[in-house]
Amino acid sequence: MSIEAINEQLLRAIGVGVALLDLNELRFRFHNDTFSEWFGEPDPEARLSDLFAAMDIEALREALKDGGRYTAETTFKVKRRTMTVSMDFNRALEGDERIAVLVCQNITRIKELESMIDSYSMMVERNTREIKREKEQVEKLLLNMMPRPVYEEYKTFGVVTPRLYDPVSVLTLDFCGFSEMVATLDPGVIVSELNDIYSAFDRIGEQFGCERIKTIGDAYITVSGMPDAAPDHAMSVANAALRFLRYLRQRNDSHPIQWQCRIGISTGAVIGSVVGVQKYIYDVFGPAVTRALRIRGQSEPMTVTADSTIAELVSARFSRLSMGMHDLGGGNEHEIFRMEAIAEQPQGYGLPS
Amino acid sequence: MEQTLFQKYGGFSKVSRMVLDLYNRLLDDDDIGPFFDDIDMARIVDHQTKFISSLLGGPASYSNDQISRTHQHLAISARQFDIMAEVLAETLADHGMASEDVESVVNAFEKRRNLIVG
Repeated sequence: MSIEAINEQLLRAIGVGVALLDLNELRFRFHNDTFSEWFGEPDPEARLSDLFAAMDIEALREALKDGGRYTAETTFKVKRRTMTVSMDFNRALEGDERIAVLVCQNITRIKELESMIDSYSMMVERNTREIKREKEQVEKLLLNMMPRPVYEEYKTFGVVTPRLYDPVSVLTLDFCGFSEMVATLDPGVIVSELNDIYSAFDRIGEQFGCERIKTIGDAYITVSGMPDAAPDHAMSVANAALRFLRYLRQRNDSHPIQWQCRIGISTGAVIGSVVGVQKYIYDVFGPAVTRALRIRGQSEPMTVTADSTIAELVSARFSRLSMGMHDLGGGNEHEIFRMEAIAEQPQGYGLPS
Repeated sequence: MEQTLFQKYGGFSKVSRMVLDLYNRLLDDDDIGPFFDDIDMARIVDHQTKFISSLLGGPASYSNDQISRTHQHLAISARQFDIMAEVLAETLADHGMASEDVESVVNAFEKRRNLIVG
């Protein structure tokens, strides 16, 4: 068998569709078996447009005019399977005659794979979005339970190292007659009222650099000076305390349920840590918390009561009235003071009073 | 966390081969194939990808409601369902899935028979 004959056999049997067209008329001059298997046997006089009606013949002529190439895709069905074939036209010269070589490759599998990747990536992206949303919810929940830097430490290391913070200022607050209110009011009403009030306290506290640590029923505890040290921690809680009172007075003017609170503030050391393994909570405890709780117990309704340390620290803006000696823990008697704002309060925070 | 069959059998890179193989077999099957006669290729592939992924615990899951809704207009017979289960089992086994895993997948498929046949 001659080389030419072998070449022709190969060309006929190859899994790539091959056809030759004269460029003037775009009539078929040759096609191999694969081509006719896919597209049928072209008539001797058939033109390219007879087999591929949708093809842009003008664009093809234009592209091949200067010896360039033209590519297109065609899809058809074999039984129920969608086949996609890429068509690649190149110009060639045979003697003086200009011809186009058409090479067709079956890219069905590539198209199927592309579809599958599309489908799969859409599923994965949807899952990723859901996971992200869940993660954000968990983060939000944990941020409600602990300050952000503590959360970051917990996220990175899985534990939170207990720390001593000194000095910080602690504000504790509770409501007068809360037990009676719980007994007489609808539970839903109590909870929604508390939600409303605590949310306002959180907002006010945040403005003054306080971090709410926890609430236990009607008891609300917020701290300034931790986890990041703040030089004006005493002033922060004193100002927040005033604002809490002002908020409640205004609220009582327009709400049927009247809330009277007592506030105790103190300065000193506390320990902050995540406590618990399964049911963990970020907690703050120590002398300053104990003192603030005891002071609050001695406080009159709708007043702020302080120990001497914090009273001294805020003396530039708060006057004090002695409330006598009281045991603030440890068996020693300490003088406590009822605090009153001097002139307009607060100042220096850029907030309207 | 417990490993899903999807992970056990090599994740998407391996499962994708099962999907395309199943696609080929179903199109060639004259009992099941006609369901796909006038359906766009991309939709069939999408369907098969989600079908296999959800059965193997991959990133797709369908509520019974969704399965029921998407199949109710197709009038699938019990026999066609049986053939589908058979083709599925063959495909998974040919891709090296252990027989107990094939069984659990086919059982999971079988559980949805009432949602699909009708």
